Amino acid sequence: MRLRPVVLALAATLTACEWIADPMKYTREDVPRFKAKAEHPAPPENPAALKVMAWNVKYGACRVDFWFDFWGDRTQLSTTEVEDCLSKIAALVREYDPDVLITEEIEVGSKRSAYVDMVRYLLENTNLRYAMYAATWESRYVPSEGVGRINLGNAIHSRYPITKAERIRQADRTDQDVLTATFYLHRGIARAEVDIGNGRTVAIYGVHTEAYDQDGTKQKQIVQLHELAQAETLPWLMGGDFNELPPVCDERADAGTPESCAGKLRLTEFLDERASSKGTEFAQPPYTPSVMKRFYDDFNPSITLARYGVGEAAQQRYFTHSVLGPDSKNDEMVPGNWNRTLDYLFIRRSDGWRDTDVIQGPGPFGVTQDAIRLSDHAPVVGTWELR
Amino acid sequence: MKPALLTVLVSSLALAAPRPARDTADVGKQWDYSVGIFNPLRLAIVDGVELEANPLVFFVAPNVNSRFRILGGPVRLTAEAGLSLPTLAMRLMKGFFFPSWETSTNDVGWMLVPRVGALVSGTVLEHSVWTARADAAFRVPLGRNSAAPLNSFLAPLDLLLAAPLTGFCTRVGGAYDQALGETFRLRGEANLFVTGPQGNLTVNGASVGPIAPLSQLIVTAHLGLDIAVFKQSRLTVGVLWANYDQGQSAVVKGADGFSDRVRVRSNNFLPTLDFIWAGY
Repeated sequence: MRLRPVVLALAATLTACEWIADPMKYTREDVPRFKAKAEHPAPPENPAALKVMAWNVKYGACRVDFWFDFWGDRTQLSTTEVEDCLSKIAALVREYDPDVLITEEIEVGSKRSAYVDMVRYLLENTNLRYAMYAATWESRYVPSEGVGRINLGNAIHSRYPITKAERIRQADRTDQDVLTATFYLHRGIARAEVDIGNGRTVAIYGVHTEAYDQDGTKQKQIVQLHELAQAETLPWLMGGDFNELPPVCDERADAGTPESCAGKLRLTEFLDERASSKGTEFAQPPYTPSVMKRFYDDFNPSITLARYGVGEAAQQRYFTHSVLGPDSKNDEMVPGNWNRTLDYLFIRRSDGWRDTDVIQGPGPFGVTQDAIRLSDHAPVVGTWELR
Repeated sequence: MKPALLTVLVSSLALAAPRPARDTADVGKQWDYSVGIFNPLRLAIVDGVELEANPLVFFVAPNVNSRFRILGGPVRLTAEAGLSLPTLAMRLMKGFFFPSWETSTNDVGWMLVPRVGALVSGTVLEHSVWTARADAAFRVPLGRNSAAPLNSFLAPLDLLLAAPLTGFCTRVGGAYDQALGETFRLRGEANLFVTGPQGNLTVNGASVGPIAPLSQLIVTAHLGLDIAVFKQSRLTVGVLWANYDQGQSAVVKGADGFSDRVRVRSNNFLPTLDFIWAGY
């Protein structure tokens, strides 16, 4: 066995040509746009409405449990696993056939997802003809658990031309040590301007806020999203994984008060939280649904609070997330199922919605694919009526 | 402070002749030895036969390599044969370079890694030496293994673990070691490695499909300067360049304003540094 005379400690600072971990020092910048090579049918001209979908696609892992889920310990996928999963994700997208698709946790060259360019894959295997990608995590080697090279982010696909693509930086966490923070995600927002013809341009925002912070970073990020939407001058759609519950109640209210969450909204002890995750960096921090209230006050959600209802029985129809899949059981031997809502679609007040839903499984809109087996998030969909 | 120390060290030399060239086909006389922090401990047990081991990792990755002089004279030929057992060291890397595998029975498997090689060296002028070499290491599995190739950006580590993780690692290379007076030696080396394929991803003993393929070709070059210090020791500094497939991609913008993502090979530059103490 031979070791070259290398001081490994210096290597991290002196390697060249590519960031070891991209610090993403930007505030707002243009990002590349992509175009399908395959021939896809042209979309309707001068549309009065757009079918839209937002979906956290879990890096094409479907229901393979990774180590930070605590139900498994995988750190990478085989090419066949990724291709099999992506083919089903693309099939669901084709079945719903959106004009605009927002994806989160999409990857374009990560070791864990077999270095597949998923943005390109969806371009070539759906009817979507244009795309943009905003990286939020780009490291040539993430040392945790041997994760290795990673390039993850948010993407926007469209049947109509994307004329401008940019990413907007979000606040970083402040509750991590320097080493962890260096190799961690740097959340950002994808923004695309889409030319839908006849001189009309719409703005699409793809968002994915922090999941594990204990320092209020997610709340800051959600406030920033709200401010961006309020300042947008074009007709806009904002969709994605907010990692926050709907503001059915106020988590700060005392029990017994009208605003209290007791009996209205589950805030803790979800069936997919494994006891061993508690106390770790991947423990579920307390939800703060009140931070989402501004979105419901000022904008038009795809699922209104009245429709969402009160209590789990009413709400479960709109749940969008479960760490645990239906083929696995938790420590109480309960199989995984959608158990909370974290994913949303919002538009400006002056525009309208129709046919909004959460595609939790086969059935709605003629979809045959089983969404709960394709990701730990369900796609949220609707038809955005432009007025 | 450092330049002053270096001046003292260099000025204390017994400058009879340059230090001998390193990593050549030359095999020492009985009880000749050398050892670095990263370079292996090398000891000639009899004239023309050396044993070497890397003490830095020896207790977690037992390793030994033997070198036999086949041919002496102006052109020297040496054969090498070695064996290592890297499993324990690899298991100590779990959590950082390998998964911890907290919820499964996956683990780094037990394995032996035999190695064979040959070196040819010749002397140019009085103290400068060229060397050509070829070697190969293979994995002999001794049980179930779930560890997958690292595909990191640290070429020395990827090369060190290439045979254990991909099945084999072969090399052809050449070096030229030029004496610059009695104090310095300049050394250039280039190597071409071919590793095994990425293989299949194994989970709980069963394959779940192939790991994404990467080019099996690794090219390295090293430029180093040896500085004679004390009577027989040397300080080595240098830079290693490695070119290989790490899964990197680059975005290329087309004339129509739209981009494409293409795979590219990565280039790494790593500093090298060692202190080698020798006796002969």
